[in-house]
Amino acid sequence: MILPTVSPIRLLIAALVTLPVLYLDFLTYQSGNNWLGVVILGLLALGLYIYLSPRAYTFRYLFPGLFAFSLFVIFPLLYTVYISFTNYSSRHLLSYQNVAELLEQDSYIVPDTPCYDYVLYRQGSAKYVLLLVDQSNREQRFLSEPFDLPPGQTVHYPTLVKISAIEPSRSIEGEPLKIAQVTRQGLFIPMRGYQFLLPNGQTLEKEGLDQFCGRNKIWKRNPDGSFTNQKTNSTIRPDFARGIFVDEQGEQIGIGFRAFTGLDSYVKIVTDPEIQLPFVRIFLWTVAFSAISAAGAFAIGMVLAVILEWKEMGLRKVYRTLLILPYAVPAVLSILIFKGLFNQEFGAVNEFLHAVFRFAPQWETNPWGARAMVLLVNLWLGYPYMMLICTGMLQSIPSSIYEASAIEGSNPFTDFFHITLPLVFPPLLPVLIASFAFNFNNFSVIYLLTGGGPKMVGGGNAGETDILVSYTYSLAFRSSENNYALASAIATLLFFLVGTLAWINLRMSSRRIVY
Amino acid sequence: MKPSQRLRLKKILAHGFLLVALALVVLPFLMVLVASLRKGNFPPNSLWLNPDQWSLEHWKYVLNIPYSEIVNPSTGETRMVQPPTPPLHWLWNSVIVSAVSSAGIILLSSTAAYAFARMRFKFRGHILQSLLILQMFPAVLALTAYYTILDSVGRHVEWLGLNTLPGLIAIYLAGVSTNIWMIKGYFDTIPASMEESARIDGASPFQTFVRILLPVSVPIFAVVFILSFIYTMSEYPVASAVLGTPKTWTLAVGASSLLREHEKLWGHFAALAVLSGVPITVMFLVCQRFVIGGLTSGGIKE
Repeated sequence: MILPTVSPIRLLIAALVTLPVLYLDFLTYQSGNNWLGVVILGLLALGLYIYLSPRAYTFRYLFPGLFAFSLFVIFPLLYTVYISFTNYSSRHLLSYQNVAELLEQDSYIVPDTPCYDYVLYRQGSAKYVLLLVDQSNREQRFLSEPFDLPPGQTVHYPTLVKISAIEPSRSIEGEPLKIAQVTRQGLFIPMRGYQFLLPNGQTLEKEGLDQFCGRNKIWKRNPDGSFTNQKTNSTIRPDFARGIFVDEQGEQIGIGFRAFTGLDSYVKIVTDPEIQLPFVRIFLWTVAFSAISAAGAFAIGMVLAVILEWKEMGLRKVYRTLLILPYAVPAVLSILIFKGLFNQEFGAVNEFLHAVFRFAPQWETNPWGARAMVLLVNLWLGYPYMMLICTGMLQSIPSSIYEASAIEGSNPFTDFFHITLPLVFPPLLPVLIASFAFNFNNFSVIYLLTGGGPKMVGGGNAGETDILVSYTYSLAFRSSENNYALASAIATLLFFLVGTLAWINLRMSSRRIVY
Repeated sequence: MKPSQRLRLKKILAHGFLLVALALVVLPFLMVLVASLRKGNFPPNSLWLNPDQWSLEHWKYVLNIPYSEIVNPSTGETRMVQPPTPPLHWLWNSVIVSAVSSAGIILLSSTAAYAFARMRFKFRGHILQSLLILQMFPAVLALTAYYTILDSVGRHVEWLGLNTLPGLIAIYLAGVSTNIWMIKGYFDTIPASMEESARIDGASPFQTFVRILLPVSVPIFAVVFILSFIYTMSEYPVASAVLGTPKTWTLAVGASSLLREHEKLWGHFAALAVLSGVPITVMFLVCQRFVIGGLTSGGIKE
């Protein structure tokens, strides 16, 4: 018999890890997330195999990194693609199950039944009883069994509490609470979860702040998935293609639910004029913005790097340290500072331009002014990185080349264009492409400077300086529609774009990268 | 013109050019400093204050000292105010989030980087390539997904849901892909001969990793830590979507909240920017040599 080569200590550790994970999995399974439970179980099995079997030795090292990568990078990417095929938005916010549960909770005040005034009594430290007095016949009084009211917390609806009739004269134990006290102690919130059951079978619920009334459920769920209205006897059924409940006439009833709608969001990008027009314009501006930002920052960085590499200049260290500042200061702060400097009325830029040139551009209200401002700020933010990279490249060029060309009688400009640039440009191309891709999704600079504004005429949520990624943010988080599905569809298109750029970049730099 | 004169002219031109560039870089920061000391809320726009314009109200606001605010400009009536959430709390949140997520990234990515650098296995090249491609996808693109996932996680595990710092940290851990590459690049530059001789002496791969490779790799861990620390300190879109209440805000979200559409508190913002920006900037400049080495040797990062 071959004994396993696993040491007892390792088995003990494995057992200590396995037990809590199994318990967690059990809880997950119990809360109704069956699929998640299966996934956790699978991961646990995979982890145990990797850390116990000698054959999977390499993966013991890879597991933490690749696990985090799958969970925090790949899973959200796939989930984004999934959302883009649904109708997830504020009008279809909840799952079908949640909406069906809400329908089942819908109730109406039963006509021709009395409402009740109430007094809440505290018994002991945490138990409460409710005294109900019939408004039409004050002799008719009911007292509930004791129940809990955790202050400020919700109680699962509906939690039933029985109430029974008591004689008018009977006194009640405990401390009566005024409505103001009930409010201040946060007791209304848990009270919303309770239903009080009269001896005759009618349930009572809180109605406003100061009374309880009889309520019945409106909808009854039928075995075939449809719901029947108890008052009018009409029937509604879910339409899973559209994510709504419809009545017999096909009209929407109640709120919608999340449903799989296939390519709808993508079709909308191409056909809906309110999306299509801004989409094309935003796309073109995004390309222009990233190209100018990458090329401009490169040009400025290169010029500064060349000057700072000139050995006969004094104070090079001081200049270099101060010129990196835009890279060292947190970008969010710099961007917000520039928002102030470019302020149209009081900002430093316009005060200076007005004093010297009698000219004050509209950085905030004119689309071209706003675009120029965004670009200027982004160049300011971007050049130090390029300067650092270029400096590194320049230092790797042997000085003998320049000495040789000096003997030939060259000047600095021919040196730069005939020696430096041809040597430096090919290895820097991947950096330029990466910078293009980075600026393609440079959310902060746009969003914090202009918020995408000024507004695009006839473009819905779109603004004149919006780039695609800030536009998706507005669609998802700033508009009242919260169109998560459409935002995810645009994000999915961006994945392909950025992925293609990254792939090209990889091909170009693969000569330099050693695996 | 004599060669020495030409050289002098060239130097003057170069200095002139650099001085203009310097002015464009430094003046904004000086103006912010001035704006933080100016009475009332004005956008940064001057380098000079008249004696009657000086005030420490914004610094008191940032340091959470009660200060007097003019309620009625015509009568000059004032009252003492104190912010509901001290602004330094945001800086503290940012420091916690950045430190924990940066340390987490190093923990999660270092062993994987070791395997990629020293071991040979199936799909090694493919996994490395996909790491490199996917690290170019910014988190803001998958924001809707992150938001929904955190929302549903938070229904079962409250401390890991929306509006919590651990939830935000979890998203920032997505930085592993970039950093596996950076650390692997550094491991590649360390000759394997020492590890080989240790192996001949009977050390297991894990022992050589912990005893031999880790001690000489401290510089790259410092670089990874600093770079991801600075990145998360300055991250805005994810934090602003995930964090909803002032108590949980990070510096980026809190600072931008001072400049809302209708009430722009430039003075408050300026004081907060100076107070929180200076330490981060100094840290970066001190660690500069490390960081720049890391930039040029391992991978591409912006």
